[in-house]
Amino acid sequence: MKRSSLTFCHPERSEESPSCPGKKQRFLALLGMTVLVWASSTQARINVVTLPGRDTVQLTIYNSADLTMVKETRTLTFRKGLNKLEFSWANTLIDPTSVEFRALTHADKVDVLDVSFPPRVTNTLEWRINSEVAGEVVCEIRYFTSGISWSADYVAEANKAEKLMTLAGSVRVNNNSGEDYENAQIRLVVGVIKLVEEIRRLAELGRPGAQPPPAPTAAPMMAVGALRKAGMAMEAAADMACARPREIVKEGVSEYFLYTVEGRDTIPNGWSKRLPSFKAADVPVTSYYKFERERYGDRVVRFYRFKNDKESKLGNEPLPDGRVMAFRTVSADNLYNFVGRTNVKYIPVGEQVEMELGSDREVMVQPKLMDWQKLNLAFDQWGGVTGWTIKETWRFEVQNSKEIPIVLDIRRNFAGDWELKTDAKYENVDKSKVKFVLPLQPREKQTFTYELTTRYGTNIVK
Amino acid sequence: MKTIPTIIAILVIASAAHARVKLVALPDRARVVVSLAHPDATLVEEERLLTLQKGVNKVDFSWRDVQIDPGSIQIRMLNRPDKVLVLNTSYPPDENALVWEISSPAAQEERVRISYLLSGLNREVVYRAIAEADEKAMTLRNYLRLRNDSGEDLTDAEIGIGYGADFKKTIAHGEILEMLSEKIEWMPVRKVLTWDAATLPWDPEYQKQTVGIPMSYVFTNSAAGKLGTHTILPGKARIFIKTGDNVAFTGEDWVQLTPVDREVKLSIGQSRDVKVTQRKVKEDKINMRRNVRNEVVVWDTDEEVKIEIENFKKEDAQLVLVEHIPGYWKMEKSSHEFKRKDAFTVEYNLTLPKETTGDKKTVVTFHYNRLNVQGNEPASY
Repeated sequence: MKRSSLTFCHPERSEESPSCPGKKQRFLALLGMTVLVWASSTQARINVVTLPGRDTVQLTIYNSADLTMVKETRTLTFRKGLNKLEFSWANTLIDPTSVEFRALTHADKVDVLDVSFPPRVTNTLEWRINSEVAGEVVCEIRYFTSGISWSADYVAEANKAEKLMTLAGSVRVNNNSGEDYENAQIRLVVGVIKLVEEIRRLAELGRPGAQPPPAPTAAPMMAVGALRKAGMAMEAAADMACARPREIVKEGVSEYFLYTVEGRDTIPNGWSKRLPSFKAADVPVTSYYKFERERYGDRVVRFYRFKNDKESKLGNEPLPDGRVMAFRTVSADNLYNFVGRTNVKYIPVGEQVEMELGSDREVMVQPKLMDWQKLNLAFDQWGGVTGWTIKETWRFEVQNSKEIPIVLDIRRNFAGDWELKTDAKYENVDKSKVKFVLPLQPREKQTFTYELTTRYGTNIVK
Repeated sequence: MKTIPTIIAILVIASAAHARVKLVALPDRARVVVSLAHPDATLVEEERLLTLQKGVNKVDFSWRDVQIDPGSIQIRMLNRPDKVLVLNTSYPPDENALVWEISSPAAQEERVRISYLLSGLNREVVYRAIAEADEKAMTLRNYLRLRNDSGEDLTDAEIGIGYGADFKKTIAHGEILEMLSEKIEWMPVRKVLTWDAATLPWDPEYQKQTVGIPMSYVFTNSAAGKLGTHTILPGKARIFIKTGDNVAFTGEDWVQLTPVDREVKLSIGQSRDVKVTQRKVKEDKINMRRNVRNEVVVWDTDEEVKIEIENFKKEDAQLVLVEHIPGYWKMEKSSHEFKRKDAFTVEYNLTLPKETTGDKKTVVTFHYNRLNVQGNEPASY
């Protein structure tokens, strides 16, 4: 690289990418750092170039915005006086407006005077740093990158009776940032942040661009996570010493919920890594079936219902939104039946959860309108019909063809001035919805009826 | 088309190796179990014996030309689930592969079970029935037809379909395998003709062709019907009938999903030896209510329907008459017992004696009033 604006000889930088497995065809990721020391007192130009490696890297990955904060430390050797520090990156997705430098040692003696983005080059900046000390200084460089994401996923393994399940959670980190991150500490955030510009767009500009337009009120927001401090077991290891369940350190930061994965992980560019995060056995679960024609059509939809609390062997922390695969063990040697898969919402501690797992043809609901009557006609003074009442008699046949007991929730929606008469037990969900909750034994059939009276026109009384 | 053989490889790599060297061991499958219990997904579980080193082992699982859902892959330790631990799973870019890091407290063999959802292994249920000559019983055969386009040869796979015992079969990629899964002999059936007033012409005299009345075999998914152990799954049924030492094909229909104790109705052809003539013999507006402009705004009706049925067969016949009455109505009189199927449908189940034609024909009449009619009454729901 040639930078004619520098008056002193600029050394060639070696472009070494960190060694890591599987980087064959990847485009080259480069974070190069050059320290140029200029002893200003003598006016002499002494070009000392070092290319210090990262001492530590920490990735803080947000789960619903394309944003990761990278914090790395490097040990730099400064001369007393003015030092120029060049930081460049290529083929990565780093937001140039986010790059910050600070000294961790001798912090009161090392000052950033200014930062320059040189003309005609992209992906490069240069700090002018005044140091009152000569020697090694541990520095922190912090920046945002896009292209790294994380997601949660769960495996629910229900027992044969579908009364208890083992719930195992994992987190999966995907690195498409263009950069290999070796031995990085990984922190995962569920939370709300506001971004007025996409990090990826800023990264593609390569250097700070024009001022963005005023942020619209509907700025990108992410789902909220509650703040908690709790312990969670996590298994991840790079060597035998770590081949054991490990603690995840929790931090409460404002409205964020933070998982800090113990230890270090290497996630080369293009790779994903899935880490077990927790496993809870004997979680009470209810196999719950719903029928609501307006919502699911004529299908009966199966749910696994459980609660994220201590009584249910969970409740150590909120569960991030993610994907669930549900199985049921069906044999003595724990062979699986596939039950379904779904996405679950963020689940706060104490919340009851319903995982929708698709239709089940072993549970039947057959509603039939058995009688329809138009009654109580009312007329105005001109003989026109102004009011009438419709009385409907419905019969529901339900059948559980499974060999295990279930709970069936049938919801009916009524509009207007309606009145329900039935011997069946029901609850009002709201002003226009009722539900019939029927526990059904294995192979059990039930029938119930109700009479719905709906008043129209001048017959309406409420 | 030449099929490229599938490779599902499990390679155990010493943890020291940093790159993805695909070399160390290729343990064979010790067991393959295929679950077809879910209507939309095929779950494969395979067991392999891994030879693990003490420490962290990298186990590389890769596949080619097989449609495995990568997000569905699970691994479970069968021998020492508390001691042999999966530390993490890595997914390389642009490859159908993943790498498990598994820690083992000792150099040992561990039996693992790997589960995944596999596309391309499809099943159909196919029914074949042979009715006795008197059409009062049939032999029903229920076949499971597996079509393996998954790219994977399944050898000695234990296959389960959600009911009954699992069976062990080998089914190669590209192969279609049909297996008899149930055979029920002397299963009682009823032969029923169904005349629906909404779909069939009322007066055959005005038709150029003889009106055929849909004919069905009806049986019940119950113990009395020699069934009733599980829900009958949807599939195509082909029906034959015995003719001396031979059989003749009488038709085919789709079997619907049928829970236990419910009826299966297979509509397989038409009968032209039964003739139904329906006429509305009365349709009066009564009890008319008028507005100030003398317009009728609401009325009742007085309606009567007459159905004449001739059976030209030399045996009795079962006939279901399906009648439709919209809105709010009351039956005033009926010559035969009827069953209200829903708010707007009634059915007559009739036994037509043999050779009842001409003066001997069966005559059904019913008389009803429709009430508070405004002309916008529902006929269905």
